[in-house]
Amino acid sequence: MIHVTDLKKTFGNEHALKGIDFEVGKGEVFGLLGPSGSGKTTTIKLLTGEFRPDGGDIEVNGTGSRHFGRTSYVRNLGILSDKSALYERLTVRDNLELFRKLYGAPKQVVDEVLDKVGLADEKDKRVSKLSKGMKQRVLLCKAVLHKPDVMFLDEPTSALDPTTTEKIHEMLEDLKGEGTTIMLTTHNMDEATRLCDRVAFLHEGVIKETGAPEVLRHKYKRNEVHLTYEDGGVRTVGRDEENSGLLRAALFDESVIDIRTDFPTLGEVFKKVTGKELV
Amino acid sequence: MNITRVMAIFEKDYKEFMRNMMLFTSVLIPMVLAAFFGRMDPEAGALPSELVIIIVGVVFTSVTFSGMMTMMAEENEKDTLRGLLQSPASILDLIAGKSLVIILMTVISLAASIFLIESDGFWSLENIAGLMLLGIFFLNLGIGIGLLVKSVATTSVYLIPIMFLFGFTPYIEFLVTEEDHIARQIAEYFPLYQNLYIYNGDGGAAEFLILLAWVAASLSIVLWAFKRRKSDG
Ligand SMILES: Nc1ncnc2c1ncn2[C@@H]1O[C@H](COP(=O)(O)OP(=O)(O)OP(=O)(O)O)[C@@H](O)[C@H]1O
Ligand SMILES: [Mg+2]
Repeated sequence: MIHVTDLKKTFGNEHALKGIDFEVGKGEVFGLLGPSGSGKTTTIKLLTGEFRPDGGDIEVNGTGSRHFGRTSYVRNLGILSDKSALYERLTVRDNLELFRKLYGAPKQVVDEVLDKVGLADEKDKRVSKLSKGMKQRVLLCKAVLHKPDVMFLDEPTSALDPTTTEKIHEMLEDLKGEGTTIMLTTHNMDEATRLCDRVAFLHEGVIKETGAPEVLRHKYKRNEVHLTYEDGGVRTVGRDEENSGLLRAALFDESVIDIRTDFPTLGEVFKKVTGKELV
Repeated sequence: MNITRVMAIFEKDYKEFMRNMMLFTSVLIPMVLAAFFGRMDPEAGALPSELVIIIVGVVFTSVTFSGMMTMMAEENEKDTLRGLLQSPASILDLIAGKSLVIILMTVISLAASIFLIESDGFWSLENIAGLMLLGIFFLNLGIGIGLLVKSVATTSVYLIPIMFLFGFTPYIEFLVTEEDHIARQIAEYFPLYQNLYIYNGDGGAAEFLILLAWVAASLSIVLWAFKRRKSDG
């Protein structure tokens, strides 16, 4: 669905993307993870045709980046960018109706999507009166009401409350269930672990690692076991022949209250790979 | 351009216009002025045609020109333009939809102002034709500058000079009393003077040609603005 090869983008003498490659299959949810300034938004903007690449190739749904400016291309995309905005003076319904008509989507979709994100009761409120989380949900509605094949979401849940985040995650899972290809960026490792089939770690304009979250966690796990004692003490031992006696004894030792293998979170993996915290 | 999309944008911009205090009052200002002029001096008879034409100039600068420029600038400033351009709507759909709103508001403001000023014989065919050309001129200026300004705040930088040069042109007769003064001779080639002549019944081919030349000039500003926007990315 999405093929990116050796993609480069330069601003003045700053190399925002230094040649990145990735593929996203049809119906896949792909997460681009990286700290601030790593080039996530730049990548999304290149894929949605807002920026032109300085090198490399992009193909989305059979369209090459030379044709990204065309209506036929954007019409099948759902975009939630970092600066997406609504018409503040208009109601939620008026905002969505505008886009429904622009896309030529059927009349009932506005109610359908608002229902899904739990905003059915705010339909006639002016956007200026909505909370940040509500606005973000309306923006997501706007991005999905024409049932796009591919979605690009730039930090869809950053700085939102847990309820809104949950609603957005549910909506994205529904879309995934319907076979929508989704590419999203995030700083949030739990989000990536929950939603993404595969992730890529972007760091200073380079992709350092790609793979399914669970696979990456396995790949970077340390062969260690943490033993927690009832007095609160923790002991870390290697999971090897040398410690087999100790580990077996720990299983039956009453004073050992927890035995845990070292299975890193995605955030810890990111740190191992890039040497940097994600946030 | 696509008529469904143009109408969708028209509807949206009509609602926005009505809920935007600044734009909405711009429609009322000429009416207030007209009511004031119309009641100024009942014994003196008809209002001097310069004043009638200045009211016309106020309508075209504050509603047509400024309204268009402000609406375009706001889409840019609030980042809603990006959303529209990421939809199937083209920039031409957007301009057409907005233009329809502005034309509607211009007609309302102008008709009400002329009614309040109690000017007879204003709606002659000749005069209407002249006003249409003048309207296109101001609309084009609004589109051209609107494509380039990034915020509503900067629109006022353009509004003041355009208003004085093109909206109040006949006012020069009060500022420069010497009839053959070079400034007055130049002003007589300005668009609003052509409409003054036409309104007075002195309009001929020359006046319409001059108006057409101004329309052509304004159109080239629009095309230039489009080019500049494109090269900016
Ligand atoms: N329009 C632009 N002009 C100049 N430089 C830019 C522009 N957009 C991005 N950059 C630069 O490119 C680099 C990558 O920025 P980008 O916005 O893609 O990061 P990001 O990963 O989205 O960060 P964040 O998590 O903060 O949103 C940054 O160093 C930034 O300064
Ligand atoms: Mg970003």
